[in-house]
Order: sequence, then structure tokens, then C-alpha cells
Amino acid sequence: MNTKKKKKALVPFRLNMLFFIVFVLFSMLVLRLGIVQIVYGEDFKREIERTEDVTVNNPVPRGKMYDRNKKVIVDNIPNDAITYTRSQTTKAEDMLKVAEKLASMIEMDTEKVRERDKKDYWILRHSKEAEKKITKKEMQQFQAKKLDDKDLYQLQLDRITKDELNFSPEELEILAIYREFNSGYALTPQIVKKHVTPQELAAVNENLDELPGVDTTTDWERHYAFDKTLKTVLGKVTDSDEGLPKERLDYYRSRDYSRNDRVGKSYLEMQYEDVLHGQKAKVKNKTDKAGNVLDTVVVSEGARGKDLVLSIDMDLQLAVEKIIEEELMRAKQNRATGLLDRAFVVLMDPHTGEVLTMAGKRLERNQETGRTEMQDFALGNITTSYNVGSTVKGATILTGLKTGAISTGTVFYDTPILIKGTPPKKSWRAGLGSLNPVGALKVSSNVYMFRTAINVGKGNYVPQQTLSLSDDVFDVFRNSFSQFGLGVKTGIDLPNEMFGFKGNENVPERSGLLLDYSIGQFDTYTPMQLAQYAATIANGGSRIQPRMVKEIREPKLDSNEVGPVLQSFEPNVLNKVDVTPEWMATVHEGFRQVMQSPGGTAYGSFGNAPYRPAGKTGTAQAFYDGPLRKNYSAPPQTMNLSLIGYAPYDNPEVAMSVMVPWAYESNTGHHANNDIGRRVLDAYFELKKKRAEENMNPIKPDQQVEEKKEGDELREEISQ
Amino acid sequence: MTSYKNNSSRVDYGLVLILFLMFLTSCITIYSAQGQYSGNFALRQVIYYAIGCGIIAFVIRLDSDQLKRLTWYAYAFGVFLLALLIIAPESIAPRINGAKAWFRLPGFSLQPSEFTKVFIILALARVILEHHQKNPLKTIRSDFWLLIKIGFVTGLPLLLVIKEDLGTSLVIISIMLGMIFIAGISWKILLPIFGSGAALVSGIFYLVIARPDILEKYVGVEQYKLNRIYSWIDPWNNQSSTGFQLVKSLLAIGSGQTSGKGLFGREVVIPEGHTDFIFSVIGEEFGFVGASVVISLFFLLIYHITKIAIQAKNDYYTYICVGIISMITFHVFQNVGMTIGLLPITGIPLPFISYGGSSLMGGMLAMGLIFSIRYHHKKYMFSKGA
Repeated sequence: MNTKKKKKALVPFRLNMLFFIVFVLFSMLVLRLGIVQIVYGEDFKREIERTEDVTVNNPVPRGKMYDRNKKVIVDNIPNDAITYTRSQTTKAEDMLKVAEKLASMIEMDTEKVRERDKKDYWILRHSKEAEKKITKKEMQQFQAKKLDDKDLYQLQLDRITKDELNFSPEELEILAIYREFNSGYALTPQIVKKHVTPQELAAVNENLDELPGVDTTTDWERHYAFDKTLKTVLGKVTDSDEGLPKERLDYYRSRDYSRNDRVGKSYLEMQYEDVLHGQKAKVKNKTDKAGNVLDTVVVSEGARGKDLVLSIDMDLQLAVEKIIEEELMRAKQNRATGLLDRAFVVLMDPHTGEVLTMAGKRLERNQETGRTEMQDFALGNITTSYNVGSTVKGATILTGLKTGAISTGTVFYDTPILIKGTPPKKSWRAGLGSLNPVGALKVSSNVYMFRTAINVGKGNYVPQQTLSLSDDVFDVFRNSFSQFGLGVKTGIDLPNEMFGFKGNENVPERSGLLLDYSIGQFDTYTPMQLAQYAATIANGGSRIQPRMVKEIREPKLDSNEVGPVLQSFEPNVLNKVDVTPEWMATVHEGFRQVMQSPGGTAYGSFGNAPYRPAGKTGTAQAFYDGPLRKNYSAPPQTMNLSLIGYAPYDNPEVAMSVMVPWAYESNTGHHANNDIGRRVLDAYFELKKKRAEENMNPIKPDQQVEEKKEGDELREEISQ
Repeated sequence: MTSYKNNSSRVDYGLVLILFLMFLTSCITIYSAQGQYSGNFALRQVIYYAIGCGIIAFVIRLDSDQLKRLTWYAYAFGVFLLALLIIAPESIAPRINGAKAWFRLPGFSLQPSEFTKVFIILALARVILEHHQKNPLKTIRSDFWLLIKIGFVTGLPLLLVIKEDLGTSLVIISIMLGMIFIAGISWKILLPIFGSGAALVSGIFYLVIARPDILEKYVGVEQYKLNRIYSWIDPWNNQSSTGFQLVKSLLAIGSGQTSGKGLFGREVVIPEGHTDFIFSVIGEEFGFVGASVVISLFFLLIYHITKIAIQAKNDYYTYICVGIISMITFHVFQNVGMTIGLLPITGIPLPFISYGGSSLMGGMLAMGLIFSIRYHHKKYMFSKGA
């Protein structure tokens, strides 16, 4: 009985205890509820308000590009556009209604509409008929989860007949508009139509309240003021349909770009993307709880991309291009010029590296018309390379002097070099006589270069015997040439610059190849490398990085003005050639005599030039490697013509390289290199004179004084 | 001595009032919350309540002898349905929100675990009762034996649901714990059991937080289950998964503040707002005051059942009451707790309030038992016990 009593008492006790536990648990709930609702309630309320705001970045126009005289080269042209902004909750039916109304107001291009779009649209419009395309059996499978929504939709798509897709033009327009509506991101304006006519704009503006989500705006398009001139170098921008380039998507996404942003995809536009793209405007959309936009607040105005001032002188560029075109056509009239199709000119300030002109032209057969047309090929200056010939002889002489192979007084007698197993190697003409370095440059003696090269290679030349040279002789030469920019990247501020090709010297006739190398007939160089080489000789031995962009400027709202300088690029000396002023003077004198001394290889073209130029010609026996190469079993032998120069010889303000590859196939022919070079330098100095007379900014505008000083300092520095 | 009260006076009107208030709360809130899905859930909930009343009307007539006789059939039926659920093809037992817990037949769907919980209570009550009748003298040994029996009766259905439906498993475990507690088992056994249970839970928590790699590698716990814990601890930084639901729920309840935003004044869209997360809607629309009233209503219900359990003076009835108390308490604590970030999210509904036929049927079945206890409560029990 006692146990029974005990047990009876036990149950209510445990019940009470259980009830107490329940009480504690429920108290915890109420306590926690109090914390959430009363203590932190205010925070949560604020949090709701905050998270329902959506910030959107609106694109701004890109920066412009000017030439060095502030002529606009690349501009943005505004054009009216119609945009559509979808909220997070906009339904397809609502979008269709708006699209229908809009279609009645604007003309819409329906070309972009694809079959899939049509099918999607058909299903949207004919939901009942679309349902009928699914059999009962398939529906059962769907309910049994054997098919999912996507499978059903695909079945519907597959079963739409051609007849059903026969839309009227009006309906196609609605579809085209609806398609654009759908392609945007929520709360981000999507351009529906560009180039809106004033009538369309007025119609849409008047009815904006009936077209929820639709707005009119100004879209920007890249405009190239000089049409195709330099366009390859200026680069391209993706259009808004194209969006970010796929291969660099992650790069741009991590930098706050939207998928439909326009970015530079090649050359200058790409190289200076960071500068040009600008600061996007930030807009905050206040939405209600359903996601409808109630109010839009501009958080930050955003800023147009910064402007680039290029080092290019557009007047000069145009004049040079005209010269190239004319001379190219004139040279083509000579015989044996079937392979000649291109020519390049680079003009550079030898003290600052600023590229004043970068011109290239190419004759190309237009696939559509079948006619041969002159195309811009400025890019070829950094993306193609050629055997340049004797123009490199200045570098060869300096290499010889540097290595102690020759001195400024070394004299060689010009007579063919006879190496066993190799054809005789001789100068371009016999009877050049005994030559010192200056004379050798003046008459362009090959033999002098050969003897120099043999000395550099510590070879013992005995006629009719084999010739062996030191193992590292190619390294010594290439190293030395690279100090002038030959065979290395010039460092120009453009992507995709090439090195040129190095010949393969590891063959039995290695020694003969070195002799070829010493006269520019082995490795290939780009026209830009030649220009850097010319500038390096001109300024006394400093290899300077060529620059396309001179300054970055703040954008100005008033588009006619150029904003203040944000960043200006200082001359960047990449290296100094380790030569003495005496050695450099030897080459300078040789180069001067080439152009100004009777008997010089370019005296005929430059002897009467008032601006007293110096330079070096080049004619290389080369093998053709152009677009017509496939017509020949073996590469045909051609002559490459080149020219480097600078003027005036004693105080150079411009350095030049001219390249005319595959000029002719015979042993002798025209001198397009000299003809082009003379006219180009004439044009440069004429333009300078004209500007001085018109009291306009000379070639170096507002900063002339400053830059001159820089140049002088530089020269002093170099001569020390 | 055996005079019954007349029929009408034997109905527990206090319980009727509580259920009626629950009914009102449920229908109004569901009506406000439906929106995510098409269909009039409020109306259907009214129908379910009507069916529930029918169940009560049936169960109320069963006296304790009839209940005891039906117990094993009901238990077997419940276990059979749970087993069937596992082997049934997905065509009739589809996976809904990740759990294979429903039969979906043309016209209606059924979640057998909701009934089975009540059948387990009945089975445990009978097992405990019969054990005490056979072993009038309590010893540690007999207590152990009882513990094993209880463990077996709960273990079988538990094994069947634990993989698919964590929420229901926890409910079954809490029913078992309540029953063990009330069965009169000695503290000498209870303390070590509860103690080691608590240690196990803390150990698991330590592993989840500090060494999740061990759980994944050696225990084979899937990442998404761990994520639930993480999103509970730090919902704001785990918003992609279940943390998103918790954040939404906290935003809704929190922004309701003291007095709420009023009926239909909701601003935050909550997934499953009419079912598992209905308390978030209550908290947002009726604020702290309204939410507390709903919690109080449940507390009142449990108080009422406890009172009946004490008054019944019949161990069988007491065991049933305790099982139901455990079940409802756990449901409420877990469901409300998860909406306010007190507990991790598991998919169990708020009894009587959340939309759902099976859940309501299960609840009404339990209430039917309570009504039945009062209905068959012999008057002499009062006089004799007093």
C-alpha cells in the first residue's frame, strides 16, 4: 500500500514538473519574441526599408581622343534612344501590352528576331493551343515527375508548325520589341531602339505614362572624325548588343562592369579602357514591397570617361598618308612590282618618343567588288616585320666600335669577301675603294660591315678559306642591336606589338649568315623598331619608349573645350646605348653624308633639302612572305626598301622610318623609300612653317618651351 | 456510483473555446498569407476543421477499453503506412520540399506521420500501463525493462521516418521522452539518460561548428544539413540557403514590432507563409501582442490538458495526456522557435494554425482523445479522490 501511495504521488509530481518545463519553454519563446520584436524591431524595420532599395549603375559616355593639337579624332555622337526598364516583378503579359502600344508608335527592325523567339512568343500568345500540344500521356508523366517543365516546354517548341509562326509584320514588330524588353536585367535600362526619329521620339514622349517602364534617353555612339584614318590603331569598342568580350568577362565583371557595357576591345580603346570608360552614374531605385519602382534618386552623377590627347599630329598624319598612297601607286607603275602592296612611315619626336605619325597603307583586293583598294594599315607598323637592309649599318658600326673590333680610323678596302662554300659577298657596286667608317656609311659599303662583323666574331679572314667565328658572335650583335630597339619590343603603348623574327643561325653557313645579319638581311624588324632606332641615333643614344598618348585630360561638359591635364607622360628612357660621344659623332657624320654629301646613297633625293637631314638607306634582298605567297612554290626573291632619317642633322626634332617591303623583284628599280622619305620630311617642315606663319601653334603647341628644355636637358645628359 | 453526467455537460467546453479561437486565428492568418500559391487555402482549412470536428465526434465516444483494444491496430496501421511511404513509387509519394513524407493520391494528399504520432502515444500509454500492472513492485530492473519496451515501440516508426523527415523524428523523440518521464522510471536511470543525451547533443554541436569535416567524412552527413545549422547561427551571412528563410522570417516578425502592421499589412514575402512559417505572418501582422496571445493560447491548451490529466486519476489517461502535451509543446516550441531564430529550421507545422489537412487531422485526433477522457470521466473519480 505504501508503494501504491508513493506511486500515486509520483504521477502528479512529475506532471507538475512537466508543466513547469512547458512553462519555461514558452517563456523562452515569449522572451525571444520580445527581443526580436521590441528590442530589435526598429532595426528590422529599417532593414526592410534598406533592402528594398536597388542601386543601378547607368552608363556614361566614353572619353574622347584628340590629336596633339586638340583636334577631335574620336568623339561620341549622341542619338536618341528608347529604353525599357523592367522591375523585379514585371509580368510577361504586362510587358507584352507595353510592347504592343510601343509597336504602334515606332518602327522596329525585325531582323534580330530568331525562330526561337518566334516560338516563345507563340506559346506566350497561344497558351491554350500550346497546352494541346502536350498529350495526356506526357501530362501524366509530368505529374509523375518523369518529365519536368523544361521537357514539356521543349516538346511544345518542337511541335509548333511553320504555319503557326506566320506572323504579320505588325506582330513581328511587337515580338522584336518584346525581345528587347526581355533581354535586359531588372531595374537596368535596356536600349530597345537606337537612332529614333524625332517623330517617334515625340510620339513616345507624349505617351510615356501609358508605357510603364519605357523611357527616352540619349545613347552614345563612337564617331571617328577622320573616318578610316588610323582606325586600326584607335581600336574598336564593343556595341551594347555585343556587351563585354567573352574572353575577358571575369576581368570586367570584377570591376563593376555590367554585361551590356561597351568596352574597348582592341588597340588604344582597349589599352586605355580604364581611363576612357568613366565613372558610372549611380541611381537608387526605391521599390515598394512588391518590387515596383516608386522613386528614383541619383546617388552620384557619374562622370564621362577621361579624354586622351594623342601624340599624333592629325594634319601631318593625313599628309603622310596621302604621300604614301601616291608614291605607292607611282611605284606600282614600274615593272616587276607585282608583289609590292604596302608602305609604312613613322615619325617620332626623338627626345620624347611621341609618335607624330604612324601611317601604313596596303593595297588589298576587295572580296566583294574584286577591285584593288587602298586600305589603312597603320597597325602594320607594330604587327609586321621585314628584312630592312643597310639601314642597320649605323648599329653595325657602333657595335664594331663598342667591341673594339674597329676604331673610328679603321680603313678597309672594299673588295668581295670570298668564303669557301659560300657565294662571294660583295657591296652593291664595285670600286668603292678604301673606306673609313664614315665613308662606309655614306656609300653603304657591305664589305666594310662584313669585315667589322668578322672582327667582332674574332674571325681570321683568309680569302677562299672557311671562316669560323666565335660562338657568341650572334648574341653580341643581337644584344647590341637591341639597345637601339632592333629585335625587341619598342614598348609602345599599344597591345599586340611584335618582336620581329630571328633567323636560325645554327647551320653550317653560320659565318655567312652573320655577314648577312650585319647588313640587315637576316633578322626582321618592324617599322616602329626602325623608328626607335632612328630616334636613338638622333638623340645621341637614348632608347625612348614610343608613345601614342601624350596626356590624359579631365572631361569637360562643354564638349568644345579640352579639360585640364590630369596626367602627362614623361619621356621614358628604356636604356642608353653604351657608346662614347666620339663614336656616335662618327655615325652622325656618316648619316649626314648619306644625305648631304655628293656620292651619298640618298644625296640625289635629299641633297637640296633645306632642313639638312641625316639618315641611311636600305635595300635588302629578301624573300616575299605576303598575301600572294601561296601562288608560288618557293618564296620569290624581292627587294625591300627602307629608310631612316632625322632632321635637322645637328639638332634633330623629328626622326623617321620608311619601309617599303617587296618593292620590286628585279635587281634594280624604283626608290620609293627615298621618294616617300623626302616628301614626308618636306611635309613636316612645310606644316611647321605654315603654322608658324599663321601664328598657330607650331607642331609642339602650348608646351613647346617646356618640352624644348626637356629635350636640351636630355641631350646634355646623353652627351655626358 | 457510475452515474454519468448527461451528454452535453460531459463535453469540455473550455477546450471547445480554445479550439475555436485557434480556428479563427488559423483561418484569418492563412487568408492573409495565401498569395505565394494560387488557391483558396483559408476555405480549405475551414473544411479540414469541419472534418476534424467529425473525427472528434467519433473519438469522443471511445472509452478507455475500446481505445486499448484499438491501440495495436492503429499502431500497426500507422507503421504500415510509414513503411509503405518508403517503398512507394514517387508517382504516389512524391518528394515535396525535399522530404518524401506525403502520399499524393488523386483528390487529396496525406502525411501519415501526423496520425502515427498519436497512435504512438496510444501504444506507449498501453505499454506503460500494462507494464505497471504486471510489475506492481518497481525495481531498477523492471524500470530498465520498461525502458526497453518504450524504446522498441518508438524506435520502429522512428527508424522509418528519420531519414526523410527530421522534424517528425524529433517530435516522436520528444513524445518518447515525455512518456519515459511520466512512466515513473527511477531518477537513477533518468538522470544518466538525459545527461548523456544532453552531452551527445552538445558534442554534435561542437562537431558541426568546429569540425564539420569529421561529420562529412565519417558520419556521411550531407552538406545541406550542416548548412541549416550554420544558417541558424548566422543567417545574415548564409542567406542563399535556409538562412534566407530565417532572415525573411526575422525581418517579418521583427518589423512587426509591438503591435504589428495590421491584418493584410504584410511587407515581407515569406516562402511557406501559410504553412510552416505562419507564425512569421502572425508576428508581422499582429506584433508582439498578437504573437504572445497565440503562444498564450497554446499555453492555455497545455494547462487545460495538464489539468485534465491530474483530474483523471487514471494512469492510462494521464499517459495519453502527457504524450499529447509533449507532442504539442515540441511542435509549438520548435515551430515558433525556428521562426525567431531560437532553433534551427526543420519542417514541422504549428498545430491547429498552419494550413494542412494531415497536420490538423492529427491534432484533432489528439483533441478527440482529450474530449473522450472528459466524456468518459466517471463522476465517482472526483468524489473518491477528493
